[in-house]
Amino acid sequence: MRNILKFILIFLSLSAYPAFAGEEVPNIGETLPLYSVIPFVGMLLSIALFPLLAPKFWHHHFGKVSAFWAIITIIPLLIGYKGIAVDETLHVVIGDYLPFIILLGSLYTVSGGILLRGTLRGTPLVNTIMIALGTFLASWMGTTGASMLLIRPFLRANADRKNRAFMVVFFIFLVSNIGGALTPLGDPPLFLGFLRKVPFFWTFRLIPHMIVASVIILAIYFLLDTYFYKKEEIKISPDNNTKEPLRLDGTVNFIFLTGIIFAVLLSGIVDWGEISIFAVHRSVQDVVRDGLLILMAALSIIFTKRKVREDNAFTWSPIEEVAILFIGIFLTMLPCLKMLQAGPKGELAFIINTVREPAHYFWITGALSSFLDNAPTYLTFLNTALGAFYPGVAETEAVQMLIKEHPDYLKAISAGAVFYGAVTYIGNAPNFMVRSIAEEAGTEMPSFFGYMIKYSLPVLMPVFIIITLIFFR
Amino acid sequence: MKIERLLFPTKFGELDLNSLESLFMLKDAGLKEVILYYVIPREEVGFVPYGGYLKEEEERIREEVRIRFEDWQKSLSAKEINSRIIIEVGEPVPNILNIAEKEKVNLIVIGKKKKVAHDGRFVGSNALQIITRSPVPTLVSKYLVQFECDGEVVTRTNDDIFKRPLLAADWSVPSERALELLISLKGLIEKAFVCHAIDVKISKSIDKTELHRIEKESKERLEKYCERLKSAGITAEPHLGAGRTMMEIIRISRDVKASTIIMGTTGKDRLHDFFLGSVSHRVSGMSELPTLLVP
Repeated sequence: MRNILKFILIFLSLSAYPAFAGEEVPNIGETLPLYSVIPFVGMLLSIALFPLLAPKFWHHHFGKVSAFWAIITIIPLLIGYKGIAVDETLHVVIGDYLPFIILLGSLYTVSGGILLRGTLRGTPLVNTIMIALGTFLASWMGTTGASMLLIRPFLRANADRKNRAFMVVFFIFLVSNIGGALTPLGDPPLFLGFLRKVPFFWTFRLIPHMIVASVIILAIYFLLDTYFYKKEEIKISPDNNTKEPLRLDGTVNFIFLTGIIFAVLLSGIVDWGEISIFAVHRSVQDVVRDGLLILMAALSIIFTKRKVREDNAFTWSPIEEVAILFIGIFLTMLPCLKMLQAGPKGELAFIINTVREPAHYFWITGALSSFLDNAPTYLTFLNTALGAFYPGVAETEAVQMLIKEHPDYLKAISAGAVFYGAVTYIGNAPNFMVRSIAEEAGTEMPSFFGYMIKYSLPVLMPVFIIITLIFFR
Repeated sequence: MKIERLLFPTKFGELDLNSLESLFMLKDAGLKEVILYYVIPREEVGFVPYGGYLKEEEERIREEVRIRFEDWQKSLSAKEINSRIIIEVGEPVPNILNIAEKEKVNLIVIGKKKKVAHDGRFVGSNALQIITRSPVPTLVSKYLVQFECDGEVVTRTNDDIFKRPLLAADWSVPSERALELLISLKGLIEKAFVCHAIDVKISKSIDKTELHRIEKESKERLEKYCERLKSAGITAEPHLGAGRTMMEIIRISRDVKASTIIMGTTGKDRLHDFFLGSVSHRVSGMSELPTLLVP
């Protein structure tokens, strides 16, 4: 602990952010030094490396790691920029983080109350249909919600199969990632875009991209599964002989899911003016939306039978973990986003100058989304595009101009952030949840690099090349 | 109703083995098998953020638990009681209830074995959920309790649970079943007590004549329960109380120096239990004695 404090002090003394006591600072992003991105890089590297190198340490101390990076971001900012830094920090917490975590939490709570019971036999056709269904649902109940709804029935259906790892991997590709591309409910990056006034249905423009990716990947899956199914010569265990009819429990949650969709849509349609919360201006409709989302989650808790959640193995820990990690991510990425928003005047101008075409955005947003969380990566490159085309223009206004004048850039960023989340286990939060559940159920999942070398690189890279050639050339 | 198979979930807390040993006497009442059960909490090994599942950690915990249980099994073998070890990953409450149903046990033994009631409660949230929801009899074992009584800290060891049981009856079907269970323990009982309390809500809302009628009827029913115990060879003594039922049961248990309280319990839905609770659950929480609740 003493060493950590010592490090913070050294960092503070080294940081020497410009002081602006009594002066007016027009744009924080134009004056921030390049090394202010260190905590953000540290945070993302911690997420990438600790689970691999020190999983037990990470499991018990990830909250402290997240807090550490957040503190060494915020304290120097507060010293250097005082009131401006306070405003920016509050804006990140109240305007970005809270709505983000409220949406994720409500989707997680509501979808965790729906349970698919019954006996399914994991034939190639049944499995392909299940993955296709999950891909469709992911955009409406979130990749996490759809994954949690289907992964256990999927594993149960395939309990007699020997090779299950590839099935779970394809499930991660489509249900936990690519399927979430169509609405802001689907994947966190798109909701962050929605918070920045990208219209709710604008992401429907990714339908062609998603269909191409899904059809190719499902076809590969079906062929692989058929091959292994024939090779395995499945014998049904006596336990699986009794057939329980398929049924959904907790269907009342579909009403709450509709309520969530309605609340999010509403906030994108109406304009009820603004209110100030701790000096952060927020639209009334956004505050109402967040309230409705909390209400939907609360109603789900009240009206879902305890047994349904228990049989779903529902626990709060995954969403708690996401909440703890993301406050760190949101705070540490603040300097980075500000510098990108400053465009050529900021220290990250070299990135803006390097990334020029939609294909660049698709691949670079994607490549980074594979290893870093895709939500901050999306924001980073959205701001890169805004900085490149509209430096100095207010963010909301710039987003509207980007949609109107350069929509392919936003499509590339959105598709890159969502699709590439499937490339590694750490690309998107549901990936690790699905992996965890599969491993607990006795499926030997590939290692971090095994996942990439055996599955994601050979399957996904050709698909992404095809998408680039068709849509982003 | 007979206790032949017992589920003993544990987190290896202080005095857990002593508590288990204090149940060995159930062999004389027909106990054949003890299932030693451990739940590895899912959060301990699963959902590592951006990682996955700590398989090695799970295996390490399993091995540790197995070694400890095998040591306990020696004590059980010495008493010629069969035992099995079950270790699962999951959530304590649903897992305990599921395994009790799956293994068709006759008794679940729960609760911290050393309990210091700072807040005046002897039952934790998990134990409370189990006694509320269990379809099989549940013993809230309180092997060693520390509590404040008249300004003094009292330490009590509940190691001879079935010596002087107090059956708190409300004449319901579960009460009948509790009586049957008590009879099945006859070899272990030195003297049994049967009590009933006329609740203050009843005595407030009726006139004196009606109260006397209820008093007479309660005394007759108490006598009938005692007769049934006596005909099974158990010395029994009736006690009628009046006032707040929970406080009366606890008062009588102290007056007669009872070693455990046995009660029938009806399952309450979540809202009812949250707002009103049930007498049996509240007695379980407030009494320093082990409580055996029979659904």
